[in-house]
Amino acid sequence: MSIEPITGRYLTVSVEGAPRRIYFEEAGQGRPVLCLHTAGADTRQWRHLMNDTGITATNRMVAFDLPWHGKSLPPEGFETEEYLLTTEAYIETVLAVIKGLGLERPVLAGCSMGGRIALQLAALHPDKFSGFIAIEASDFQPAWYDIDWFHRPDAHGGEMGAALVSANISPFAPNTERWNTLWMFMQSGPGVFRGDLSFYTKDDSLIARLGDIDTGKTPVHLIVGAYDLTCTPEDAKRTADAIDGATLAVMDELGHFPMSEHPEGFLQFFVDALKRMPAAGTK
Amino acid sequence: MPWAVLRNTHIGMAVWPALVAPQCKGFEEDNQMIDTFHTMQAKLEVTPHLLRLGRLFSETVLIQVGDDEIYLTFEKGHVTQVTAGPSRKTPWRFALRTDADALAQFWQPLPAPGFHDIFGLLKIGRGSIDGDILCLVKNLRFFKEFMALPRPARKDAA
Repeated sequence: MSIEPITGRYLTVSVEGAPRRIYFEEAGQGRPVLCLHTAGADTRQWRHLMNDTGITATNRMVAFDLPWHGKSLPPEGFETEEYLLTTEAYIETVLAVIKGLGLERPVLAGCSMGGRIALQLAALHPDKFSGFIAIEASDFQPAWYDIDWFHRPDAHGGEMGAALVSANISPFAPNTERWNTLWMFMQSGPGVFRGDLSFYTKDDSLIARLGDIDTGKTPVHLIVGAYDLTCTPEDAKRTADAIDGATLAVMDELGHFPMSEHPEGFLQFFVDALKRMPAAGTK
Repeated sequence: MPWAVLRNTHIGMAVWPALVAPQCKGFEEDNQMIDTFHTMQAKLEVTPHLLRLGRLFSETVLIQVGDDEIYLTFEKGHVTQVTAGPSRKTPWRFALRTDADALAQFWQPLPAPGFHDIFGLLKIGRGSIDGDILCLVKNLRFFKEFMALPRPARKDAA
């Protein structure tokens, strides 16, 4: 028997003028590190790192489920609403969580669309953070698929979404973690993956903002897996090259969900990324 | 009779491979790719979870490998026919087109990036998919795992 050190609670904040009951988990003490999950998934993607005592000895790891995801309910009236995530709502949610939890200039670590929004925040709200770890993140990725595939009455969007994103998982990933990663997509609520992809594949506003990022004040480190078909190493390099002072690490044996699909392989890259971020209390 | 028809086989799943395979073997021993798909057909029959996933899948799929065309007829998750083309008379629902070397790399235990998934083949310019893509996506896990059947099982696989 074992009990993990991760604890989960709920925080209610206001986003877009209405309350959002947000589920968050945390583990560890020290420098705050706020972790953002990918599209169509939830906080469970971060559980391995949040259980790593080497990380939690000096870092307060916090992760939350975006509204509509995991254990965060959709807002009141969702039954007649089409879920379409926007950059503005995503930013407002992240800032509301930081304020609600009283996080003092956390490191922001985001994967995929979480990495995209981390770079948006690096450009627009750098004063709220001490540094940015953008995993499988790029300036923009147009869809090579039809996002409407994943929300239709005659098929299971979660199962189709999982089958699609499995293309982004490395063959080096342990089988158990491959399927745990895909399970989250299978569980995703109807239309949620589509709504996330709408943000991820249609909003290209970051491209023009990359030049605004000042890595002298807030370091930016990108990490990308060679098996990621969605955000390829070339995509990440193009993005890093557009940010003066940004650094990039390429993981030869990992894919689009490194912290979830292959936590053991990802650990060294995340530890390296944390070392590049300012220590707690650094102004 | 054209060679393509000579190599045409209609394999009844109930008798595969014990009775039918030896009788057909002589016609196609020169065609390793057809043999591979026959092996996949047999392996599918002993993969219960795939048969369950494909229980609603009854379509014909065209696999083009280089200049060779292979038609796979699925009936409720079973492959009932592996037919060598080309054929202008065989309707198919969707097609996966690639080359033999790409498939060989796809079937490696640890394929290089891009060769690890059928969509990866598209991404690196070594494959294409056309036809009713939505039909493919609705049955994507089944079809991808069927296509990966020749890949050796991983040690940590369930």
